[in-house]
Amino acid sequence: MTSTPPLKPKHPFSFYLLPFILPILLITVWQLASNLDWLKPSILPSPLVIAQTLLDLLKSGELVQNISVSLLRVLEGFAMGAGLGLIVGFAMGLSNPMERSLTLITGLLRPIPTIAWIPALILWMGIGESSKVTVIAVGSFWPVLLSAIQGVHSTDPKYLEVARILEKDRVTLLTKVIIPSALPSIFTGLRVGMGIAWASVVGAELIAASSGIGFMIMYAREVSQPDVMLVGVAAIGLTGLLIDFLLLQLQRRLLKWNSAWAGES
Amino acid sequence: MTKPMALQIKNLSKHFSLSQGELTVLKNVDLTVQPGEFISIVGASGCGKSTLLRLIGGLEQVSEGQILFGDTVIQKPGLDRGMVFQEARLYPWFTVEENILFGCRNNLADAEKQQLVHDHIKLVGLSGFEKAYPHQLSGGMQQRTAIARALVSRPQVLLLDEPFGALDALTRIQMQQEILRIWQEEKITVILVTHDIDEAVFLGDRVLVMSNRPGTFKKTLSVPLARPRDRNSSAFLALRKKIYDEFFSKKKTGDRP
Repeated sequence: MTSTPPLKPKHPFSFYLLPFILPILLITVWQLASNLDWLKPSILPSPLVIAQTLLDLLKSGELVQNISVSLLRVLEGFAMGAGLGLIVGFAMGLSNPMERSLTLITGLLRPIPTIAWIPALILWMGIGESSKVTVIAVGSFWPVLLSAIQGVHSTDPKYLEVARILEKDRVTLLTKVIIPSALPSIFTGLRVGMGIAWASVVGAELIAASSGIGFMIMYAREVSQPDVMLVGVAAIGLTGLLIDFLLLQLQRRLLKWNSAWAGES
Repeated sequence: MTKPMALQIKNLSKHFSLSQGELTVLKNVDLTVQPGEFISIVGASGCGKSTLLRLIGGLEQVSEGQILFGDTVIQKPGLDRGMVFQEARLYPWFTVEENILFGCRNNLADAEKQQLVHDHIKLVGLSGFEKAYPHQLSGGMQQRTAIARALVSRPQVLLLDEPFGALDALTRIQMQQEILRIWQEEKITVILVTHDIDEAVFLGDRVLVMSNRPGTFKKTLSVPLARPRDRNSSAFLALRKKIYDEFFSKKKTGDRP
């Protein structure tokens, strides 16, 4: 391979504009439809009304408050689930007996949708924080587990052979060869896991909670405030996008050696 | 450094068990390599020459016979035998510097390691590229890094498994000159496995020709030419032809690779 460091491509303005065109178009049509009274405000309020509600909720601090509560739950649950996923994943990836002895139970539990656990967890742990955090942990555990196993298995045997020739001990082998090899796969798992964690928190809050963004949406439905409901829905999307963006930045920073990223900015 | 040791291969055979039965890859191989010698082993692909090198490297176990390094029987890989493969096998997450550092003996002080890394980057002519990642390097530069990594632990033997096979023709010639210079500077034993007859004659003190299935040395030629060798001199071409005929002679049709 005679690859020189690729030049950073300079994009025209339209490249940055392109993602925004369709959303702006949809919102415009929606606003027009509302102005023409084609849409009932009690079912679907106009974008301008929703924007006004968003401002109000931001000013009162209600939105930020609810998002922070949910975000904190996500971070706690994700740390637990992803941490456990990494530990079990590495154990299964590195040791054949370990993989063999866990393969049946993981195969049985994995297909169960996360939200199916919510009633059981509420029964066991009550409707407090711990049941919600556990739901998130369960949700984020699986993708991280699978990506860690896959990552360890994908280590090139040729790299392991070089380490053998260089008489490296097991710890060096793990930290300098296997973990870096597994990192691209693990990052994919972390991003998927974070997405599921964020989805799980909303699910848990919709069922039983007295705070959080899911609670805000559910409560707004009960008191017939469709605008508040939709602000909540939009806030979930935006926060999820932001989290994924941050993870992607971290990934690019940590995996800058990976030639697959070399051309992207 | 310990006293230079000879490498002895005694009546070595290697079988692989396959589903269809046993396959004998190497049979009755004998070879003694003196310290500081440059040995070229030429053979067609699949003749077992790479397997022989992996056995010397300790990456495979012998089936019969033994390989002695000094008085010790080789059973596993070790830093006394550096190895370079056809693919550079650099760790893509390490820079040039870090890759070479990874080859250092574990028990050295950090300052000593840094010095060794610095010296070997200079030795292979990569000064200025210390912080580059493998994907930013050309194939030749990647291979230089791999050579530095194999040499930084100061091995007594350097095992080269078709190290320039994946390079373009011009880079290959350049790398052949480089490896010769490095061999002369470091005064180590080199065993080169190649399918390039020209390369074998240009580099080796001796050229060993390997037969096919099972692999064994069918001919040993010493190369009495002074270095640097002229690839177009009549003596060089005569030797080259001799080896060529081992593979493609019209008389011995039964022994075609």
